[in-house]
Amino acid sequence: MSHFLDRLTFFRKQVDTFADGHGVVTNEPRAWEDGYRKRWQHDKVVRSTHGVNCTGSCSWKIYVKGGIVTWETQQTDYPRTRPDLPNHEPRGCARGASYSWYLYSANRVKHPMVRGRLLKLWREARAIRTPVAAWASIVEDAEKRASYTKKRGLGGFVRAGWDEVNEIIAAANAYTARTYGPDRVIGFSPIPAMSMVSYAAGSRYLSLLGGVCMSFYDWYCDLPPASPMTWGEQTDVPESADWYNAGYLMLWGSNVPQTRTPDAHFYTEVRYKGTKSVVVSPDYAEATKFADLWLHPKQGTDAALALAMGHVMLREFYLDRTVPYFDDYARRYTDMPMLVRLVRQGDRYVAERLLRADDFVDGMGEANNPAWKTVAFDAAGNPVVPNGSIGFRWGEQGKWNLEARESGGADVTLALTLAGHGPTARVAFPYFGGAATNGFTATEHPDVLVRNIPVRNLQLRDGEALVTTVFDLLCGNYGLDRGFGGGHVAHSYDTDEPFTPAWAERVTGVPRHQIIHVAREFASNAEKTKGRSMVILGAGLNHWYHMDMAYRGIINLLVFCGCIGQSGGGWAHYVGQEKLRPQTGWAPIAFALDWSRPPRQQNSTSFFYAHTDQWRYETLGVSEILSPTAPEGDWSGALIDYNVRAERMGWLPSAPQLRQNPLTIAARARAAGMEPKDYVAQAVQSGELELSCQDPDDPANWPRNMFVWRSNLLGSSGKGHEYFLKHLLGTSHGVLGKDLGEEGHETPREVRWHDKAPEGKLDLLVTLDFRMSTTCVYSDIVLPTATWYEKNDLNTSDMHPFIHPLSAAVDPAWEARSDWEIYKGIARSFSEVAPEVLGKETDVVLTPIQHDTAGELAQPYEVQDWKTGAVPPIPGRTMPAVSVVERDYPALYERFTSVGPLLEKLGNGGKGIGWDTRHEVEFLRALNGTAPNGQPRLDADLDAIEAILSLAPETNGEVAVKAWEALGRFTGRDHAHLALPKEDEKIRYRDVQAQPRKIISSPTWSGLESEKVCYNAGYTNVHELIPWRTLTGRQQLYQDHLWMRGFGESLVTWRPPVDTKAVAPVQGRHGNGNTEIVLNFITPHQKWGIHSTYSDNLLMLTLNRGGPVIWMSEDDAQRAGIADNDWVEAYNANGALVARAVVSQRVNPGMVMMYHAQEKIVNMPGSEVTGQRGGIHNSVTRAVLKPTHMIGGYAHQSYGFNYYGTVGANRDEFIVIRRMNKVDWLEDTAAKEIV
Amino acid sequence: MARTYRALAALLSYPTEAMRAAVPEIAAALEAEAMLSEASRTALAALLRDFAAQDIYALQERYVDLFDRGRAVSLHLFEHVHGESRDRGQAMADLIGLYAQHGLEMAPGELPDFLPLFLEFLSLLPEAEAQALLAEPAAILRALAGRLAARDAGYAAVMEAVATLARAPATGASAIPDEDPDDLAALDAAWEEAAVRFGPGEALDGCGTDRLRTRLRAATRDAAAA
Repeated sequence: MSHFLDRLTFFRKQVDTFADGHGVVTNEPRAWEDGYRKRWQHDKVVRSTHGVNCTGSCSWKIYVKGGIVTWETQQTDYPRTRPDLPNHEPRGCARGASYSWYLYSANRVKHPMVRGRLLKLWREARAIRTPVAAWASIVEDAEKRASYTKKRGLGGFVRAGWDEVNEIIAAANAYTARTYGPDRVIGFSPIPAMSMVSYAAGSRYLSLLGGVCMSFYDWYCDLPPASPMTWGEQTDVPESADWYNAGYLMLWGSNVPQTRTPDAHFYTEVRYKGTKSVVVSPDYAEATKFADLWLHPKQGTDAALALAMGHVMLREFYLDRTVPYFDDYARRYTDMPMLVRLVRQGDRYVAERLLRADDFVDGMGEANNPAWKTVAFDAAGNPVVPNGSIGFRWGEQGKWNLEARESGGADVTLALTLAGHGPTARVAFPYFGGAATNGFTATEHPDVLVRNIPVRNLQLRDGEALVTTVFDLLCGNYGLDRGFGGGHVAHSYDTDEPFTPAWAERVTGVPRHQIIHVAREFASNAEKTKGRSMVILGAGLNHWYHMDMAYRGIINLLVFCGCIGQSGGGWAHYVGQEKLRPQTGWAPIAFALDWSRPPRQQNSTSFFYAHTDQWRYETLGVSEILSPTAPEGDWSGALIDYNVRAERMGWLPSAPQLRQNPLTIAARARAAGMEPKDYVAQAVQSGELELSCQDPDDPANWPRNMFVWRSNLLGSSGKGHEYFLKHLLGTSHGVLGKDLGEEGHETPREVRWHDKAPEGKLDLLVTLDFRMSTTCVYSDIVLPTATWYEKNDLNTSDMHPFIHPLSAAVDPAWEARSDWEIYKGIARSFSEVAPEVLGKETDVVLTPIQHDTAGELAQPYEVQDWKTGAVPPIPGRTMPAVSVVERDYPALYERFTSVGPLLEKLGNGGKGIGWDTRHEVEFLRALNGTAPNGQPRLDADLDAIEAILSLAPETNGEVAVKAWEALGRFTGRDHAHLALPKEDEKIRYRDVQAQPRKIISSPTWSGLESEKVCYNAGYTNVHELIPWRTLTGRQQLYQDHLWMRGFGESLVTWRPPVDTKAVAPVQGRHGNGNTEIVLNFITPHQKWGIHSTYSDNLLMLTLNRGGPVIWMSEDDAQRAGIADNDWVEAYNANGALVARAVVSQRVNPGMVMMYHAQEKIVNMPGSEVTGQRGGIHNSVTRAVLKPTHMIGGYAHQSYGFNYYGTVGANRDEFIVIRRMNKVDWLEDTAAKEIV
Repeated sequence: MARTYRALAALLSYPTEAMRAAVPEIAAALEAEAMLSEASRTALAALLRDFAAQDIYALQERYVDLFDRGRAVSLHLFEHVHGESRDRGQAMADLIGLYAQHGLEMAPGELPDFLPLFLEFLSLLPEAEAQALLAEPAAILRALAGRLAARDAGYAAVMEAVATLARAPATGASAIPDEDPDDLAALDAAWEEAAVRFGPGEALDGCGTDRLRTRLRAATRDAAAA
């Protein structure tokens, strides 16, 4: 072939080649390139980020052209890291990238909207009445009120102007404050770290009003109570870069590539360094691809797995031989050497409380707080009072540290064990694994395991007593045979005794050799690297009722191996943006501490449990969870009874507080000739004042107005969704079960029972959002907020040490306004409306005993309930503290928009330390200018941002130095060196807009930001010898509070999931002819929503099934005759939900997964069972409280907002699932409703 | 310079008392210009009667329920062309540019692709130019009319009138593919984005034929299934 005819003779193609024929030069039109040119033509590029609740806190470039956001790309200008550490980039994920067009989405809330019926009533009333009177005329007329409250969730919105909606809200708030009390105005907003100024806008308004800010972290069940129990710390974790320093990584229930996408690269990279990766996950989650070894315990049995690993570690690294690093760590940084009293119970002993200096005849020479100083033996066997316990923190200075000294100043090495020195005693340990329901494995061991423990006899103030060490108790608890004889201990891993690997194999399904192997390797790596073994812990484990067991089991492994506080080691529990880095700068702005203290703060779980009446349906009896070794005493009552006791003893907060309006208390006290504090104490005892918690269903005690902002309370986090609808909102609902009264069960004793439960407690529900979420749909007023590209704000994360801006790249679309502007507008209206009924008022505020204050030393020994007459009610000690707050309601707007005088007068601080901050306030006066009242201006969001940045040690080096110096006075050590090199660094908003800025080390946090180490929690405890904020000052593995002992959780143990009994009432009663099966209901985080965008995002929906789905195993699907993509219904006594089934080998039989936060508003048909539209994942859940989370007034177990309290567990739930016959989109009904 | 466009824009805007008072004026304008067919004007009369007769709150609730929530009958045209894709911003910027070329600046509070806004713009143009511009989103207008027919006859009539002015092919024509919502392969195809190719025939300004076709296919899915 010559190719003669292939060649052109008369024409020449404009073609040439280059690069050896790999490239071709053409001469075609190049108009197509204009598309790319246009993309890169923009007016400006602005830095912002996405603030759903994403730990990513990724820096994004927002491109703006002609006032329109055209697109966004990842920013890549993070400061470089040190040599041998990968850089932070790339950060950002597909979910975040898909956000860019949310702001123009059809689902956006564009205008202020009001329920049409309400607006009509308002305008009619307002035409002839003043604002507050107009509101009164509506809500005091039952028929008028019901005409809109019963329509919640059923459409019927109309638009309204800002001035008008502001006036309605202001009138409602003023009416409520005057009629019932400002503590009936409730606000729920989560995760301040994601947009802290937007949070602060609402919380500042509420705090000036005397309203109540609700917690989120505990309610979301992301708060691991194990953390405050062990460390006295809400949560503190290593940044993701520190994964790269680990030598051994366990990913336990966390799904890093899916839910921590921008950080996952550190995990990928560290494996190239040779780090071993073990993944623990019941299902074949995406993260399992990281695994060198995948362990898949049955869901909910993680504690058993951890216990068995701990058994191996103690055996091989503590008992069979001594590892110097572990031994030293345990003596200095843990409570293992501390002494515990043993008391006789029948023919054996049980461990009681930690021994205190006060137990000795001479108080061990301790004059200050001897009841709060724990005791250990030194190497010679003499009792000593080591530095650092909480008694040293308050009332004296210089000895609250972890130096290896005793109180007298002598160097001391504490003894870990009493073994080999004397007698042993038979000590009882509770065992809960003998009874399990719903297919969880029960073993045949008795409910009390008596083991021989080495003891010593001490002469104490009240006679002789046996004591032992926490370490000796731990060894007994883990079932280790140490040659003391007796039963229920093992020397072989193959013995089936709690908690050996053989035992765990039965309970968890994980082969014992894998348990032994992992435990050995994990500890061995820690030994060689001094603690560089890490567990990345997913909060899925934390959502089980007995979450503390799983968490403490895992924490113990890390403590045994000296990993906490060491680079590349420790406990990495990531749950969204719980880390508000400039917290102490933010708090005074957010809670208006610059004007009045204290603010009202409430733990949401207890609040919603009470006020959505979930307690009326409680199926879990206290006797089911009480320990067989519980000390003698009255353990009767229902779960809510325990909560009420906790509230009246000042352990947990209450909202509302009293049946009586708190604005009237001061006058009553005056009339009685008493101080308000004394009057309240006397009047609650006499019954003249009544705590609201005792009767949450009485209209006098209802929450009346509620704000929800930055949140989808009803669509994502509302455990017991249907109870919210029924009782709090009073609209159509899907509750299928009956309450205790209807069932004829015993009703609570501390709470007044009403046969007819209230339906519709709220007069007004206001939601601020930029998208029409499920919560908006149920609200009375919906206010359009600015999106993350339309407002100025700050955003921080625990995953990296940078502080990020949210920036107003464009003006808010349509009529939207930033949260700051919205609340400022409401504040202005309120100040205008208030004089009708409110002037300067004296508010009496009740607050629980707070952690990190001297008050946390409230009740050292027994639980003292004044109601029983055992002790008098003493505010701040045996009951809530009582404070008087002067409010100036007409001046609320003035106060909102200026920095108040208290910062200069009282200073600022946090976590127990305080410092003078006059210099910063003076700086703000210069920077922000002054308001008409002479105070620094706080008018715009930018003013608030600069105030936060100026006041916080993390962003103002000068404050950091002051803060470290303040801490140094407590510890007697010099810490200021940690911040001195950065003393002149002051991070401002324009700085973080220019480039991500690393924050400055501060004592608010337990890790360091430095050029030498990555941030790691507990680092300053270990390396600066700052005590943990616990009773012992050390990592506390033994919890000695009476209630901890009563419920059998002094030490970690195995507790099978509880039985919520939600299936029996519905099983077989709603048959549609299809097979019903029962499965465990799990709600993990998804790939297409959490946490950087919402689940109604169209782009994300198109990547999966486009609507609600549940995941189930092939086995279960076959059993129920369900094929992939079938519509199925899941239901139990709590309600029903519908979804398509994803039938997948990923899922293990016995459980069904429904991704968290799929909304009712997208592709959701009606339920065959309830006849209501769909249902969401929380339609089948109900919050169940745990008494141990209510403990207060007890050192680390004292209340703190989002720090401690009941949590919204939901993993123990079971559902009936079956295929649907009829998919009804309820279009006809909707059409009828509209007409 | 047709006032009919402005009348239709008013009818598709949020109903207010002012608009209610202007019902006779709107009706008169439609009659006077007679750009719409007799049948079309008769169909519109029903909605005008509703405006005159019904409680303003009922009218407003109806409008909010229909247009302020969800995508199916959104009055923002690019919702149906670009959805949430990144082409939308550029398309809006281009549209703002078009308005600017005509010496018009948008008042704050709306996006450039809001149909009533677009109609008002057309009302300021010579008829031929207006007609040409309105023809561009004809397929979308027809699809919206179809979707509204299943939801609200009154508003369907307005959209039908707009679609007719845009010379969109009548409903029932093969322009709207008959998609089976359970045919997953077809749904995937409808949603699939064209692979990005570099070279002639492909542009990322949202007007590339392949991409636009993909979007339009999605936009013109069967109304009932949407």
